[in-house]
Parts: sequence; C-alpha cells; structure tokens
Amino acid sequence: MSKLISLTIDERTVEVPEGSTVLAAAQQLGIGIPTLCYLAGVKENKPSCMACVVRINGDARLVPSCSTKVTPGMTVASEVAEVKAARKAAMELLFSDHLGDCISVCQRVCPARMQIPEVIRLVAAGQMREAIAQVKENVVFPGVLGRICRAPCQHGCRRSKHDGAVAIQLIEREVAQQDAAAKERFVPACDPPTGKRIAIVGAGATGLSAAFFLLKSGHACVVLDDHTEPGGQMRHGFSEADLPRAVLDGEIAIIRRMGLEFRPGTRLGRELSLGELRRDFDVVVLAVGNLQKTDPAALGVEATERTIRIDAANYQTSVPGVFAGGSAVRTGYDPSRSVGDGRMLADCVGHHLEGKPAQIPHLPFTSTIPKLTGAEYQELAKGSNATLSIRELITAAEQAAGRCCHCDCRSANHCKLQHFGELYGADTRAFAGEHRRRFEFVRQPGGVLFEPGKCIACGICVELANQAPAALGLTFAGRGFEVRLTAPLNRPLAEGLQHVAEQCVRHCPTGALTFEKAEQNDVKPTT
Amino acid sequence: MAQDQQLKVDLSPQATNRFLEQLLARTGRGREATIPILQGLQREYRHLPEAVLQRVSELTGLRLADLIGVATFYHQFRLREAGRHSLRVCHGTACHVKGAEDIHEAVLRQLRIPENSDTTPDKVFTVERVACLGCCTLAPAVQIDETTFGHLTAATIGTMVEDFLDARHRAVADVDLIQPRRDDRRQGEIRVGLGSCCMAKGSDALFHSLRRTTQDLAIDVAVKRVGCVGMCHQTPMVEVRLASGANAFYSKVDPAEAGRIVRRHFRPLSIRRQFAGWLDRTLAGWVNPDPEARSNDQPALDFAGKPVVSFLGRQVRIATEGFGEMDPLDLDEYISQQGFVALGKVLGGQPEATIAAITASGLRGRGGAGFPTGVKWSRMRAAAAADGIKYVIVNGDEGDPGAFMDRMLMESFPFRVLEGMMMAAASVGATEGYLYVRAEYPRAVSRLRAAIRLLEARGFLGEKVMGSSFRFRTRVFEGAGAFVCGEETALIKSIEGHRGIPQLRPPYPVESGLWGRPTLINNVETLSLVPWIIRHGPAAFAALGTEKSRGTKVFALAGKVERPGLIEVPMGITLREIVEDIGGGVPGGKRPKAVQIGGPSGGCIPVALWAIPVDFEALTAAGAIMGSGGLIVLDEDDCMVDVARYFMAFLQKESCGECTFCRIGTMRMFEILDRLCAGKGVPADLGELRQLAALTAQGSICGLGRTAPNPVLSTLRHFLDEYEAHLAGRCPAGKCKALIQYVVQEQCTGCTICAQRCPVGAIPATPYRRHEIDTTLCTRCDVCRVVCPEAAVGIVSGGRPCVGHSRKETRPEPRECHE
Repeated sequence: MSKLISLTIDERTVEVPEGSTVLAAAQQLGIGIPTLCYLAGVKENKPSCMACVVRINGDARLVPSCSTKVTPGMTVASEVAEVKAARKAAMELLFSDHLGDCISVCQRVCPARMQIPEVIRLVAAGQMREAIAQVKENVVFPGVLGRICRAPCQHGCRRSKHDGAVAIQLIEREVAQQDAAAKERFVPACDPPTGKRIAIVGAGATGLSAAFFLLKSGHACVVLDDHTEPGGQMRHGFSEADLPRAVLDGEIAIIRRMGLEFRPGTRLGRELSLGELRRDFDVVVLAVGNLQKTDPAALGVEATERTIRIDAANYQTSVPGVFAGGSAVRTGYDPSRSVGDGRMLADCVGHHLEGKPAQIPHLPFTSTIPKLTGAEYQELAKGSNATLSIRELITAAEQAAGRCCHCDCRSANHCKLQHFGELYGADTRAFAGEHRRRFEFVRQPGGVLFEPGKCIACGICVELANQAPAALGLTFAGRGFEVRLTAPLNRPLAEGLQHVAEQCVRHCPTGALTFEKAEQNDVKPTT
Repeated sequence: MAQDQQLKVDLSPQATNRFLEQLLARTGRGREATIPILQGLQREYRHLPEAVLQRVSELTGLRLADLIGVATFYHQFRLREAGRHSLRVCHGTACHVKGAEDIHEAVLRQLRIPENSDTTPDKVFTVERVACLGCCTLAPAVQIDETTFGHLTAATIGTMVEDFLDARHRAVADVDLIQPRRDDRRQGEIRVGLGSCCMAKGSDALFHSLRRTTQDLAIDVAVKRVGCVGMCHQTPMVEVRLASGANAFYSKVDPAEAGRIVRRHFRPLSIRRQFAGWLDRTLAGWVNPDPEARSNDQPALDFAGKPVVSFLGRQVRIATEGFGEMDPLDLDEYISQQGFVALGKVLGGQPEATIAAITASGLRGRGGAGFPTGVKWSRMRAAAAADGIKYVIVNGDEGDPGAFMDRMLMESFPFRVLEGMMMAAASVGATEGYLYVRAEYPRAVSRLRAAIRLLEARGFLGEKVMGSSFRFRTRVFEGAGAFVCGEETALIKSIEGHRGIPQLRPPYPVESGLWGRPTLINNVETLSLVPWIIRHGPAAFAALGTEKSRGTKVFALAGKVERPGLIEVPMGITLREIVEDIGGGVPGGKRPKAVQIGGPSGGCIPVALWAIPVDFEALTAAGAIMGSGGLIVLDEDDCMVDVARYFMAFLQKESCGECTFCRIGTMRMFEILDRLCAGKGVPADLGELRQLAALTAQGSICGLGRTAPNPVLSTLRHFLDEYEAHLAGRCPAGKCKALIQYVVQEQCTGCTICAQRCPVGAIPATPYRRHEIDTTLCTRCDVCRVVCPEAAVGIVSGGRPCVGHSRKETRPEPRECHE
C-alpha cells in the first residue's frame, strides 16, 4: 500500500496514492476535466492537447493535469473561470486546424432537420424501408417536399462546388414514392396515450406536421380548418402538375391513420374563440397560415398586422399554453420551414406538457470546414460512387445517393473534441487562420479511413502502434505547425496500424481515424 | 570536373553495406546512435536515401518509424535529393534586419530556381534557409558549402556565385592541423585570429600566407593561431608582437599583404634573403612610386586611438580571459596561463566547499533563465543515482538567431570549457559527460574533440584525473539543427535518439535526466566562468555587477552598429554604454531605434530606455530578457512589426509541435503579424494578438512556448504607434513590401544603372533624365536603391517618405573566403 497524499482541488480535499496525477485525483472527487490526448496505460506523461490544464498553487502558468503528479498540500484550481477559458481556447485552437464538418452542411441548413447523410447512406445501400423511417423522424411530407421544397441542402452540398450537388430532393421524392408504392406504407408506432389533448388551428404543412409528431408521442390532436379538406397551401397553392394531390392525400392519410381528428369548416374567431379552445384543450397551436387572410385581432394573441408574435426560442405566443408557427409567424411561404416548424413545435409543446421549459431542440454542435480549394473538392469527391459501381443500380435515387461524398463525420457523437467543445461552448471559428491542414480522404486497406485534416496530433495511435510488436509503426513527421501523422516512407498508414487498427479507431479522440462504414464506428465510446 | 564526380554516390547494395558497416562500427547501433547514424548518412549521400534507411533499420533493429520521426524533426536531415552544392541563406536576426529576404529572393532569381523547388534543374545548387549561421557581424551572409560570403546586397549575388564557382578548387589547409610550436620566438610572434567568423573573412588564408612568407624569408618568428579576437569589424586582424614586448595591430588584412607586414617588422636571417626583400620593395616602389600611399594601405591599428580604447576599455575578461592571445589548442600554453589550477583546487578540496564558493559568487546560469548555479549544483550533488552514474551536460546548442558567444568560447577556449565542466562534475559527483554542440558549429565540434584527445593523453581526462581519485569521461554530441533542443529536457531526448520534444518539469533533469539518471546541464558560458571564480575567489566575481546579477556577461553585438563584435562586459553596464561607447553607435548617420536582446525569447528595448543596466531583473521588467547574449541594434530603417513577425516566423518553425498553444498559437500570432505587415490588418487583430500571446505564455509546456510571445508583447508595449501605422496602411520604416513604393528622387542624373539592373524591367532607361519606376511591375527587390550612385532612389509609404532609406549606406564589398 503506497503512501497517501492529501491535496485540495477547488477547495475540496482528497487523498490519493503517491504518484497519482492531478487528473486522477480530480476524477476521484467527481470533478470532470476534459482530456483528448490522454489514454490511461497507453499515453501518459506526454501531454499535448492541453485541454486538461489546471492551476497549481496559484501559479501564473497552467499545467496539464494528466501529467502533473500530486504533491502533499497541493492546491489545484480546476473549475475556475481562467482555467476554463484556457481549456476552451486550447480546443478553439485545435478546431482552427481541424478540417471537418461534424454535421454536414446539407443537414445543418435543412429547416426540417432531416438527417440527410443517413438517409442517403440507406438509399445507397438499397434499404428503402429504413430510409423512409429515417425521413419520417423529421419530415412528414417527403413526397410533397420532394417536389416543392426550395432545397437549401443542395445549395449547401459540398459537392456542388465540384461537379454539381447531390440530388437530395430527388432522393427524398423517390424514398416517398417507393413507400407509396409499397404494399404497406410506413406508419410510425405511437406511444401509449398520455391523456393530453391538443387543438391545432390550421391544417397546413405546419399544423399537420405538428399533429404527426404529437400523435406519435401519444397526445390526442384535433386539427381545425376553415377549408373542407386538410392541406392548406400545399393543396391550394400548387398546380396538379407541380404537386399531384394523390401524393399529398397519401401522406395526410398516414396522419389520419395515427388518429388525427380533423374538423373542417371551423375558423378561429368565427365558430369558436381562443378562450373556448384553451378551456377544452391542454395546449393550443396556431398554425393559421398567412395572416393577410385573417383578422389578427380575432386570434386572441398578440400579433402585428402580418405576424403572430412568438418567442423565437420556443414558439410560445403572448398567451400561456398557446403556441404558434409556420407562415403565421413569418412573412412569405417556405414549405420546408413550415414542415420544420411543425416538427419543432411538437417538441416545444411536448416539453410544455411535461412541465419543462419549452425549448427548440439545439442544433448539434459542429465544427465547420472553411472554403476548400478546387483540388480539395476533387479529393472530397474521390471515392464516392465507387461503392456503388459494384452493384447493379436500381433507381436514379440510388445513383444520386452514390454521389454523396460523406462529408459529415463518421465520428460525430463519438468525438471527444466535439463533445468537450460543446461542453465548453467553444467557438470553432474563433482562431480560424489562413494556414490549415489539407482536406484529404485516405482510404486504408481494411476499411479504415484516415482523414489527416481532422488529426489533432494527440499521439495516441502513435503510442498504440509503437507498443505493438512487429508492426511497421507510426510516427509524427516534421515539426511545429507542420507535424503530421505518418507511417514511415509514405507507406499506407494501415501498414503501421495493422492489428491495432481497431484500437486506434476506438481511441482516436476525433474523426481522424474511423471505419469507412459509418455504423462500424460504434466501437468508439459515445460521448 | 573530378570533384563533381566524387560527389556522385554509389548506391549499390555492396557499397551501401560497406559504408554502413564502417559507420555503425563508429556510431554503435542503439537508439542513442540514431542521430549520429543519420548524420553519417547525410554527409555521405547529401540526403537520406530510402533504401539506405531501410538497410539501417534491418542492420540495427531501429524502427523505420523512429528513424523517419527523427529525420524529419531536425533541419540537418533531408529526405529529398540535393544539388551538388548547398547554398544556405542566413536568416539570423542581424541578417534579417540587413535585408536577408531580399538576398534570398535575389539568390532564387539568380540561380533560376523553379517554384516549389529548392534545387536548380541541373542539380548543381540547393538553396536552403538557415536560422542563423552565427556570423552576425558579416550580415547579410550566405554560405555555399564551406565558404561564407558576407556583406552582400541584392545586386552582388551574381558575383558571389561566380566567385564561388571560380574558386572552389582552391582548397585551404585546415589551420587546426598545425602543431603549436613554442620554441622559436626569437624575433617575436604574429597572432592571427582564427575563430570561424574571422576565417569566414579569410583569416585562415592570411594565416597560411604569413607562415609561407616567414618560411620563405627564413624569419624566425612564430605565426600563432589564436581564438576569436572579438573585433569582428576589424577582421582579418593580425597582431605583431616583437621580442621587445612592443606590438602592432593590422586590421582587415588581405592575404596578399602578408609579406609587407612581415617585412615591416622583421628582418630575414640570411643576407641573400635580405637582398631579395630589398629588391622586391624597390621594384614595387617603381610600380607605385608613392611610398607614403603604399604604407598607408595597411596602417597599423592605433590601440591608443579612441575607437579601440572604447571598444576594449569597458570590457572585463573572465570567460574570455586570454582573448586574442591564446592558441585554442595549445594545452601547454593553457596550463601556463593558470589552466587547471582551479580544477586542481577542486580536486584537492571538499566538493561542498566548491559549491559553496560558486553559490557565494552569485553566479547565475548564462543560458538565459538565470537560475543560480550553486543551487543547481547542490541539488545535483544531493541527487542519488540508482547505479551511481550521474551526468554533466554542457549546453552548447546556441540556437538564438543573432548569437554566437558560446561558439566563440568553444572555438577559442575549449580547455576552459572542459575545465569548468570537470569542476562541475567533480563537485556534484558525476563521472560522465556530454558536450552538446550545435550542428552549425563544425569548428567548435572539431576543436572540442581535439581538446578532449589532448586532455586524455595528458591525464586530465579519464581515470585518476590529475592524479586524484576523480574519474571522468566526456564526448561531443553534435546537435542536428533544432532550436528547441537548447531546452534541457529536449536536449536530453535528442541525445537519447528521439525527436527533441521538451518534457513537462518536474521531474527536473537533476532528479531524472539522461536515461533517467541525475543530470546537470549548464551553459557553455556559465562553465567558462567557473575556473576564474575558483582561482580568484567568489568575492572577486561578486564584486562585479549588480546586486542580483554578478560578474560579467558575454554579448554578441551586431546589427546596425559601427563596431560589431564579441564582447564581455561587467553586469550593470548600461545598454547605452554597450551600443554607443563599445559599439560606436549606429553607422551612416541613421537614428537608433532599439536593441533586440535575448533573441526569440527576448524583446526590443527602445532608445529611451537605454539607461537600463544589464541585469536579469531589470531587463525582464523592461519586457526583454537577459537571454544568452544576442544583442542586435536596430535603427530607423527597422520596422518593429516586421521584427515581431520575424521572430514569430522563426518560433513557429522551431516549435516542436507537441502542445496546442505553441503549435497552433504561434502560427495564429504569425498570421496576424503577417497580415499587419501586408497592410491587411484590422483593429481587432491587436486584441486577438494579445489574447493569443497571453494564452501561449500561460499554457505552453516548455520555455520556448512560454516565452514565444515576448517579441510581440515587447513591441506592442514600446512601439504601439508602429502597429497602429500598419493598421492605417503605412510602414514608417519603409520595410514592409506591401506597404511601400520605390521612387526616383530629383538627385537622379539619368545614369541608367538602375534601369539596367532592375530584374523585372520596371524602370525604363531614360538617359540624362530623371528615371521613373513603374510601381505596377516593381517587386521591391531593393536592387535599384542599392546600385544608385546618387542615393536618388527613395522609399515612400502611405504617401510619406521613409527618411532613413534616402541616406546612402556604405557597405563593404563582399569578399569570398574559406572556412
């Protein structure tokens, strides 16, 4: 039994065995310190990321806790502003030389937050049933949006700078089409009834979309509309050629099968008042569409001539328990935003019903790739399509899906840099500079994908590879800003990794080393 | 072209194996042999061929990954093939402020180096940037193979290359191979300074010429090799010392003038030779009938005259005792000058007493940080080694651009460095040692090795040193080109055969150093002071200097100063005394602006603060540091934002790349400074610069990173106005190319020289009329300004003239010389 050392961390005293690190002592107290380059038993005493810095005995300089040994009576400051600011800055500096999108641009810009890369991967693999299920996680009207959406995703598509965007809208439409043609259409399972009742005023894209997700969560929904048939602008604003009614009806039918109650010919302020609705329902959602056709005063909530006033963070109107979204809260009509509003409204209403503060779901934290060069776009596009050429292509959608470069990170949700960056509120562009790594996909034999642009030079894989006997080994080459991970003499990294490849992928703190097949990356711990 | 054929290397497996067998027999095969092995390959093949590395890995068991990691870390190694001759452009601080960038561009232009390459298509020249050649007083300097060219301008590069190609078959014998002779001084002796920068100015050729002349004339006089003479502004320098004790100095002597100097003071022994000499003089008199003019060619330097008295007067010789008088490799002479008296005292007394004396002297480490030497020694003495082995390492990895003090000490006083090292070893209980010397200092390496051999042969090194029970072995380890290896933990990694990555301290090397054993690391200058302290007693040393900074400090004085040189001054002397009294102020009537002291970890101290004494604490308070001793004088032509940018570029390249703040933080700071110099800065940049500086200083692992922001912080503190001018698109000093324009002023006589020399045809020739520069074509290469005989080419920035540049500077003609 070795000697115990007593020290203080953030004014709490702890005793740890002699030779322990400050990091271990903090962990014993349950004080979380971020680490990226540290791996117990493998990479110790070789600090590089500096995300784990602490202040010892009030010193001006900060030291990495992973490599600093405890001494008797030591005073450590961890959860203090200056230390946390330094950790955040360390991560921001790493982000400035970390060439990766955690979340792809297409997904970031989609107002309906469709998990586009995942959908594309399923389509490319021919898994159309799984694809429609994934689409319907966020988008109720893929058949409709597949025709009338303005497709900001395609404007954002990284491939658009190279040889034209991936036809995401076409993919979405075909996913819907195949679902429509299937023997049995996809209908999501609904949670057990909650006993809550929600009135939704307006049966357009927003109202129906909100109804879909609220029904799915087990809440009862009644949608009221002036018109005789549900659909709003989708029904009345487009020609049959642009948007066949059968497509719309098919997608609305699914919501009806989930238990939607539709009350046609009902107008707020005419047949009934907001007061009555509030009395009869737990929550009221106003999705009344463009206010030009409505008398704002008749609604019973605070509104200007053109829009209902809401709290942008949670869609709440001036009246408690009354939410509003869609074209009623903004000027102009954008079908994908309306569909997205319905999705987000449902979340906010759900929170409200659970007694929690309503909050639009956060956009996931993401690092962003700056403007790439032509050669880098070429590099990005390299290798896509190839995965498909070995199979017979079935549909145009699969073909389109094959063009996706998979610029979203295979390590998202397994990435320590992303996780701690979010935790510390890092601004990934805070120290953006002109010098940065090049975008590269280096495909290794054995299915390992190496993206040098994402490497933060933590050295964990170097240690793992060099501790393994007989392998060629890995090393850092060069120095300073130009330090790069490499296998000797420009051999493939895989030769250096060999049988530690899976271990290296698992412990890579970013997405620099991943398995090319996204799902295989589940070997990495979830952050 | 026999020489060129020799440079072709045989890469056949048989030849490779033969070579590697010899190499490995010399270097060993362990991890610690990594750097020596790679150095052997680099020398043989001029790069590291893949196949050979592979073979090394097979023969030694060293992993290829490790070989490549090390090979790509150090500047000395190169994986790509190189041209037959390597042309190194020095980018040290002194060279930088004297236009190294213009020189570099001119070299690339002259040799027609293709873009994205560093080698001429015919594979004759490879052009490299070097951080510092350590011959700052010759700035701006270029080295081609072993030949150094100094005082270059953008307009003289062509001549330099021609001279090199013409002269490369002329080999000069190595001066260090000559045995000292001490028995033939009947008529006196002639001393020639042979430090490597003296030699870069041709003093070795002069040395040989003097020897030949004295032999030919049969004059019984010793031509003596001495170390650095310090007065770099006067080299090649000769001191004639007559048997009577009288002496005379000659400065800037050409080898061809050797005969005249010899004959002036000494008479040949034979009548026949005397007659020949008379005839020679008479014939020369007919050709040049004015004897007065002839004797004025090479006047003896008047040591009583003001400049020399000022230069030498305030200096105190402790580390440099015997300056300009001692043969670096004459052990008998060193012994006769009290050499090894101090070591004898240490071996005869108690180690604790020696440490107490060093502590009492107030000696602090001269490598830069100023840690008390006595304290380090006593901790080291107390440190227990599991197997009884402790090490002493002499840190001679003098990497600061603009500094060459330690090189001079190692080249001129190798015995003193070794004596100091042994005194330390005996006091702390170490039995093994390393002298870690920068790769760029081949002369220091060879002289230290020669000195070690001599000491071993005479019982000063090995078992039973000087008959005592003390045993000590030491060897020289050549660095491979990495500034960060001056940091002690990185230096240790380097000796162990790794990439030079600094380690988090504690543990300090005195607890766990080389191969985990207690290790004392002291700087060259620190150890050079130790023998004097023990001989004269600590009180004599402590009597010099200020309360907290005792003794003397050696400085390499360079940059915009009349008398650059190597000086040793008492602590407490003011910066003004150093620059103005010793250095003679700024030449060319320009206004002084600042001194840069402490190199990349140091800062710029403006003229207004030159009353500051040389003292560790006082310099730190002014935003600089004592550092290792580089002292660069800056004048009105020097842009302080550019100086900050220069150091950040250096540090960014020299960062080991391990910790985030240094690896990325220095690059981001460099980018901001680069933007400012390009006139693309925005006001928010200064805030971000300060933020990054604070973060890097606070969060980096080693001293390099923690002090990296100093050049930025000190210039922001003292020269904020210049930063603000750059934000407004103006470079007041006329240095930043993106912000300046060249203009021809009214003094132009229309001589057309500028038009002829402009490399981009931006100046139409208009004979007898004032010329005009097409600013859209102009690349601001500075050639027109340098070649204009009327000083008519000026620089304007932001619509205002940059006054310093309209004054004509006088630069000595470049001369070619051998090392």
